[in-house]
Amino acid sequence: MIEKLFLMNGYGAYVWASFGIVFISCLILFIRTYNKLKKYEKNFIKEIQELNKEEKKVLQTRSKIFTQVLKSQKKII
Amino acid sequence: MMRNLFSLNKIYIFSEKTLTFIKSVFPVLLILGLTFALVLSPPDYLQGDVVRIMYVHVPSAWIALGTFSTLTVLSIINFIFKIKILEIVNLCIAPIGLLFTCLAIITGSIWAEPTWGTWWAWDARLTSMIVLMFFYVMIIYSQKHIKPKNRSLMFTSIISIIGAINIPIIKYSVEWWNTLHQPASIKITGETSIHSSMLMPLMLMLLILLLYSALIFLMKYKTEIIKVKRSGVKRL
Repeated sequence: MIEKLFLMNGYGAYVWASFGIVFISCLILFIRTYNKLKKYEKNFIKEIQELNKEEKKVLQTRSKIFTQVLKSQKKII
Repeated sequence: MMRNLFSLNKIYIFSEKTLTFIKSVFPVLLILGLTFALVLSPPDYLQGDVVRIMYVHVPSAWIALGTFSTLTVLSIINFIFKIKILEIVNLCIAPIGLLFTCLAIITGSIWAEPTWGTWWAWDARLTSMIVLMFFYVMIIYSQKHIKPKNRSLMFTSIISIIGAINIPIIKYSVEWWNTLHQPASIKITGETSIHSSMLMPLMLMLLILLLYSALIFLMKYKTEIIKVKRSGVKRL
């Protein structure tokens, strides 16, 4: 059964190569996009932490994104 | 009201919720889709098991074409009305379109070897897909390297409008010219010639790749919004 699934009547190499290429390409793009997002979130938080209390307050009232990014990073200022 | 609808805060929170939803359903759908595509769906009476490549090749090509059409429409709207959000959307969807164009070409080439006896032929469908790939490359290049923003926007719009001419050429190339590529089996209007036992896994794989595209789009979109917000923090 498993052998049949891998060989696919002689077409296994073509089918598995196609699915493999799609899977690996999608995975690479996912990892790159995810890492970039996390890097920007981290830098954003770092910049916010450097602000003084009043500036943070202004930001908190103006932007919900600020609180959302904080939530996703699981950090509390 | 429109301004409220396109508010970055609202879009960011909406994208957070959508991302959570996609992440929760994606693994289940992926396992289900792969099981149907690789195990449960029947082999073709003529092509045998090699027909399973269709489950990644066809959705990739559809997404590639759909993405370019979306990009063109948004570019035109953005060029006329200058809506910042649309500019960000275009920036995020172009790489997804390029990925799926390349995947459609590569998987098509792998499929061609056992069925046509060659990896590549300068056939109308294949050539027009290569042209589409170059249009995507030009759009991404102009988005990233052409400065200032207005000029980049103008270039992107012009490239996508010219590139849009290629979309019907890709679609009808199999009818207009004698090609190795088979004509469409699935039609929006008219009778679909594919059996339901193959149509169902195909639609499932399309859904999976669409969800994947949405996942990448939302992550890219969030990154771009953070970039905009960072410039706001710097101004404080």
